[in-house]
Amino acid sequence: MSRMFTWADAARIIVLLAVSFLILMPIAAAVLGGFKTNGELRVSPFGLPEVWHLQFYGEILGGRRFWVYLGNSFFISIMTVGLTLVLGSMCAFAFAQTRFFGSRFLFGYLLLGLMFPVAAAIMPLFLTVRDLGLLDTAWGVILPQVAFGLAFSIMFFRTFFKEMPSELFDAARVDGCSYIRFYFTFTLPLSTPILATIAVFVFVQSWNNYLLPLIMLNDREGYTWTLGAMDFRGEYAAEWNRTLAFVSATLAPAVVFFLAAQKYIVSGLTGGAVKG
Amino acid sequence: MAEVRMTNINKSFGAVEVIPDLSLTIPDGSFSVLVGPSGCGKSTLLRMIAGLEDVSAGEIHIAGEDVTGAKPSDRGIAMVFQSYALYPHMSVRQNIGFGLKLAKTPKDEINRRVGEAAEILQLGPLLDRKPRQLSGGQRQRVAIGRSIVRKPKVFLFDEPLSNLDAALRTQMRVELAELHAKLNATMIYVTHDQVEAMTMADQIVIMKDGIIQQVGRPMELYNAPQNPFVAGFIGSPRMNLIEGRIAEARKSKILGIRPEHIDVSPDAGEWEGRLRYVEHLGSDTVAYVDSEAAGRITVRLPGEVAISTGDAVFLTPRANNIHLFRADGTVERA
Repeated sequence: MSRMFTWADAARIIVLLAVSFLILMPIAAAVLGGFKTNGELRVSPFGLPEVWHLQFYGEILGGRRFWVYLGNSFFISIMTVGLTLVLGSMCAFAFAQTRFFGSRFLFGYLLLGLMFPVAAAIMPLFLTVRDLGLLDTAWGVILPQVAFGLAFSIMFFRTFFKEMPSELFDAARVDGCSYIRFYFTFTLPLSTPILATIAVFVFVQSWNNYLLPLIMLNDREGYTWTLGAMDFRGEYAAEWNRTLAFVSATLAPAVVFFLAAQKYIVSGLTGGAVKG
Repeated sequence: MAEVRMTNINKSFGAVEVIPDLSLTIPDGSFSVLVGPSGCGKSTLLRMIAGLEDVSAGEIHIAGEDVTGAKPSDRGIAMVFQSYALYPHMSVRQNIGFGLKLAKTPKDEINRRVGEAAEILQLGPLLDRKPRQLSGGQRQRVAIGRSIVRKPKVFLFDEPLSNLDAALRTQMRVELAELHAKLNATMIYVTHDQVEAMTMADQIVIMKDGIIQQVGRPMELYNAPQNPFVAGFIGSPRMNLIEGRIAEARKSKILGIRPEHIDVSPDAGEWEGRLRYVEHLGSDTVAYVDSEAAGRITVRLPGEVAISTGDAVFLTPRANNIHLFRADGTVERA
């Protein structure tokens, strides 16, 4: 018997459409805004452009600056992701697999970091980065980002690692496997879902970070795209259409990164390890 | 020679003493079964032999060598786990060969030995599959294969059959016994199932609360249990342990008599009782009798017997098979 279409279905579809609309509308407005003149943007911010002006996108994509910004952002994000994954998973492995004096205290201390807002630390952070001589370098942004991302990534990794059957580790030890080898041969390959999840999260956060690059980077050559987006704002006027075109163009890498990682964000890879 | 000798072993987890003081020798080439109720310390003992658990005090010798502080992989042992613990992202071939690869064995040698193990366990066609594509029995075989390629001196099994269904368990039991005959290695097997212990063991070690209750061949334990715990643990249905007037009449605290050692008669006998429940198994008939003198008594009769619930019966224990235990739990006469 086929099911009748009910009001509940209708309500669900309406709610879903409304939510999709809320999400897609600003994105569409940004992408379309890049095709409009500044005047038209004022008059009809959400409509389709009357004339499709391709020159704004063309100028941005054709210019050297945009690619420099994008490259900087990309380098900073990739390094942040890489360092967070390596350090976070190694720390979490130690917390999950070994018992050592003070491990609970240390873990609690790390979790405290979760409650500490970056903005509150910005002044001491700036001083520290300056003392380290990392101002105006990508590392001045990467290292603080990694430091602040570690707390939450260690927490997630540890939970995931703890769920791995302990007999797997016992079996590997009987086979002569060391901790380090176990980490590389078992923990990492069996943790792709959590690795991908954390990677996406950290990447997006780093990609969109504005405050840290603003404080740490002064040289235009080292700017990330978030700082570069301010290029089109003068003291008296803002070229919103160019800004929107710029922002739209920078969306692409984050989306591509997400799509690439998405296929790993599936659990159940450990199926078959123990009784099933 | 691969005798396993444990001397004055003690194991504590913090303030909890799991194994107070234990000495035990597993003879070379024997199939020894550690058996006991849950939490009796048998798995902990096995893990200590494997080196997965540190020994708080005492020494462990394998083949005459002190391995108390040695790494698991340096002890010449292999272990099969209850959950099989196969490496999920590796093929059967890689699973079996992993230990050899870690030991830096040449590739040809690994292939040859994996092939041998696969042949012994009939895993040939499955070598390139992943563990999740295998059935429970097949996974169990892979786990065994992983242990035999390493040519260990001692095999350790931690309840390896408890995840299998009854039919497969019986089959694997036979296969393990055959494997033992073929490899002629020392095997130590942990289980809580006394049937597994009775059917497979050369030597059974019965444990309770970290203390060894009795060590011996299966029939020794069956015929001459040294205390009421062993008496009740070995044998199915379990031995009748009767306290009170009947035991006191024989100057003991507890009188034990196995269900198969009681004669039933409709008109005359030592204890009078009424049938409460009868189980007809075909090969046997198990009757539960409530008697005023002895309480609830289990009786096992060979073959199919025409009795039914509510019948009045008389029970007579065979004098030669009566076990008497003193108040301190030691045996007076078996």
